[in-house]
Amino acid sequence: MSTCPGCALLCDDIEVVVESGRIKETRNACRRGAARIKGCINRLAPTIDQKPSDIESAIKKAAGILKDSKSPMLFGFSNSTCEAQVKGIQLAKKLGAMIDDTSSFCQGLLIEKILQKKFRTCTLEDVRNKADVLVYWGSDAQDSQPRHLSRFSYFPRGESRQRGYEEDRIAIAIDVRESNTAKICKGHFYRIQPKGDREFILALIDALSGKVPAYEPKKILELAAILKKAEFGVIFVGIGLTYSIKEDFDILVSLADKLPNFQIMPMVGHYNMRGFNENLFKETGFVNRVRFHDTAVHDDKYSIIEALREKSIDALLVAGSDPLSSLTRSLIRHLASIPVICIDPCVTMTSKIAAVTIPCAVSGVESGGTAVRMDGKKIGLSKIIESDYLTDEELLVRLMGAL
Amino acid sequence: MVTVLEIYQLLPKTNCKICGESTCMAFSVSLLGRKRKISECTPILEVNFKKQKEKLEALLLPSAGAEETGMIVHPELCTGCGNCVVACPVDVANDPKGAAIGCAPTNDKVIFRVVDGKVVASNIKECRRFGKNRVLCYACIDPCPTGAIEFV
Amino acid sequence: MGIDVGKFLKNPEYEIKITTFRDIFQVEAQERDRFGKDYEKLSACIVMSKNDMEKMGLKPGDRVKVANNNGSIVVEVRESKRDEPGGVAFMVNSPWSNVLVSDDTGGKGLPDFKNITAKISLVKEEITSLESLMEYFRKLKQV
Ligand code: SF4
Ligand code: SF4
Ligand code: SF4
Repeated sequence: MSTCPGCALLCDDIEVVVESGRIKETRNACRRGAARIKGCINRLAPTIDQKPSDIESAIKKAAGILKDSKSPMLFGFSNSTCEAQVKGIQLAKKLGAMIDDTSSFCQGLLIEKILQKKFRTCTLEDVRNKADVLVYWGSDAQDSQPRHLSRFSYFPRGESRQRGYEEDRIAIAIDVRESNTAKICKGHFYRIQPKGDREFILALIDALSGKVPAYEPKKILELAAILKKAEFGVIFVGIGLTYSIKEDFDILVSLADKLPNFQIMPMVGHYNMRGFNENLFKETGFVNRVRFHDTAVHDDKYSIIEALREKSIDALLVAGSDPLSSLTRSLIRHLASIPVICIDPCVTMTSKIAAVTIPCAVSGVESGGTAVRMDGKKIGLSKIIESDYLTDEELLVRLMGAL
Repeated sequence: MVTVLEIYQLLPKTNCKICGESTCMAFSVSLLGRKRKISECTPILEVNFKKQKEKLEALLLPSAGAEETGMIVHPELCTGCGNCVVACPVDVANDPKGAAIGCAPTNDKVIFRVVDGKVVASNIKECRRFGKNRVLCYACIDPCPTGAIEFV
Repeated sequence: MGIDVGKFLKNPEYEIKITTFRDIFQVEAQERDRFGKDYEKLSACIVMSKNDMEKMGLKPGDRVKVANNNGSIVVEVRESKRDEPGGVAFMVNSPWSNVLVSDDTGGKGLPDFKNITAKISLVKEEITSLESLMEYFRKLKQV
C-alpha cells in the first residue's frame, strides 16, 4: 500500500503496479491522484539563466543569489514533505528571510484559527464513524479532494453510522455554483451569490437564535432545523467560504459557537499545505507570512502577494509551487524583475523565467517522508519508485551548506 | 438515453403477440432491458418494415457494448472518486471491511474498482438489477457526479 | 488594452460576474503537462448559463473576449450542464482567470480570486494561448 500525494486527503490505500522501475498502473487512486503518481511529461533540468547547467553549479549560483540578496523570500512548500519544510524554515532563519506558502492566498486564515484552537475540530475517522450532518461550504470536494465523500464523509458505513448514507447521513452544499459535490447533495443545495456567504451566515445565526432571518427565511429556517438536530455535524470549509469572508473571519467562529454539535474542518488542496502551517506554527507561532530577524515577525506585508506588490523582496526561492501560474497577473510584474530560484520536479511557468532551476524528485512518489492530512493527522509518504533526482530536502540542505 | 416510447414508435404497433409479449409496448420494455432480440418480432423483419428495423437497430446499437445487465461505464467521464465503489450494495455486502467502510476493496468480489483513476466494473452478474430477485437499484448512478455509469 | 477596446467592436459588450472553480480534468491535464493542449483547452473557457448565453447572443464554442482593468483574454464559451439561474459565469482557476483578478487586497495579502467583474463580447480572435501569456512575462523580464 502506498500513499497518494495528489491532495491533502493523503489516501494511504493505493496500490501501484511497478514494472522495471516504471509505474504501470495505479489502483484505488482517483483521477487526480493517478495523474500525480504517474507524473509529468516534462521534467525540469538544471539551468542557470535558462541555459543548461548541472546541479552543483545551479546550487552554487542559487546560494550566490541568496547571499547577495538584501531581502529574499522563500515560498512554496505545500508540495514538499514535512522534512523539507523544516529545512526550508531553517534556511529562512539562517538568511533572515521572509517565508510564506500557498496557504497565504488559500486556507491559511482558517488553519491558523484551527491551530489556535478557535474552532472545535475532529479527525476524518471521527467523521466516518460519527458524522450525521455534513456541510460542504464553498467546497467542491468531488473535484478537489475527490475521495472525500467516498472514503470518509457521506458514503461509507461507520461505527455509529451503520446504515450509511441513505438513512444515516445528510450532505448539504452551500455554494455559488452547482458543483459536482452539490449535485450529490441533491435536495440540500443552497445557492448563494458571490460574496453572499456573510449574509447567509448572519441569517443562519438568526435562525439558530430563534429569530426570523432577514434573508430567504424559509430555506434558512429549514436548514437551521437540520443543523440543530445533528448529533455530530461537520462543516467542511472550502476556499470559496474562506475567500468570501476573509475581511471578517470571526463571523465563522460566531456561527460555530451557535452549533455546539458541529466541528470545523479545512478543505485543503495541496497535499502538505497544512504540514507547512503546522511546522511554521511550531517554530514561530504563526502559520505563514513570517520574516526572520532576531525573532520571527509575522505581518501581512510578508505575504508573497504584498511582498510582490510592495516590491519589498529582491530574490525569490520557490519550492514546489508555480506562482506565475497561480498569482494574479498584475502581481507577477515584480516577480519577473527579480532573480527567481525554482526547485521543482517539473517544468513550470515560473521555471521558464527563473534565473536558476534545480530539479528534484517527486515527493511521495520518488521519495518518502511525512505529510499532514487536512485534519491534522500525520501520514507517511511512500517511495514508490527509485530515481536519480535529489529530494527537495537534500537540495535545501546542500543549499544551506553552500551558503 | 433511449426510451421505451422511442422503441415503441418503430414497432408495427399491431399487438400481434407473435413475439410472445402481450403488447408491442411490453416488447419495447423487454427490448430496452435486453431481454429480447429484435428478430423475435418476425413482422418487423418483412421488407415493408425495413427502414423502421434499421432505425431500431441503430437505436439499440450503442448498448451493444453494454453488459447483460445493461450497464455501460464511460471511463472518460469518470473522476475515480469511488462513490459507486462504496455505495453499491453488492460491494457493501461482499466487502464489509473494505469498500463498505470507504477503504480500498479487499477482495475480488466487488463490482466496482478504480484503476488508473477510472472505474472498472466486474462481477456484473452480481448486480441487483440482474437475476431472479432483481430490483431497480440506483446506488451507483445517483452517487456519480458525472453520469459515468448508466443502464440501458 | 483594457475595456476601451469595446468602443471599436461591433459586437455588444455585456458586464458579467465571474467566479472561479476547480475541475478535476483540468487538474489532471496540469499534472501531466501544463504546457499541453489539454490543459489549455480545459482552462481557456468560460462556462455560462443558457439564459445568459441567449441574452448575450452566444453559442457554445463561440470565442469571447473577457476583459477588465486588470487584463484581457480570449476564451471559448461553454454551456453549463446544470440548470443555472444565470447572472454569474464560471471559469476554471488557471493562469487565464488570473489575468482578470485584481491585485487590490487592501494590504491583506489575499486577492478576490473568486469575485471578478468583467466585460464580455463576441470576437473572432484566436483563443489566448499559454504561450502568449508566457510571452507577456518574458517581455516583462526584458524591461
Ligand atoms: S483523493 Fe486525493 S489523496 Fe486520495 S487518491 Fe485522490 S488525489 Fe490522491
Ligand atoms: S445497480 Fe446497484 S447493484 Fe447494480 S452495480 Fe449499480 S449499485 Fe451495484
Ligand atoms: S463512475 Fe462515477 S461514482 Fe464511480 S468512480 Fe467514476 S465518477 Fe465516481
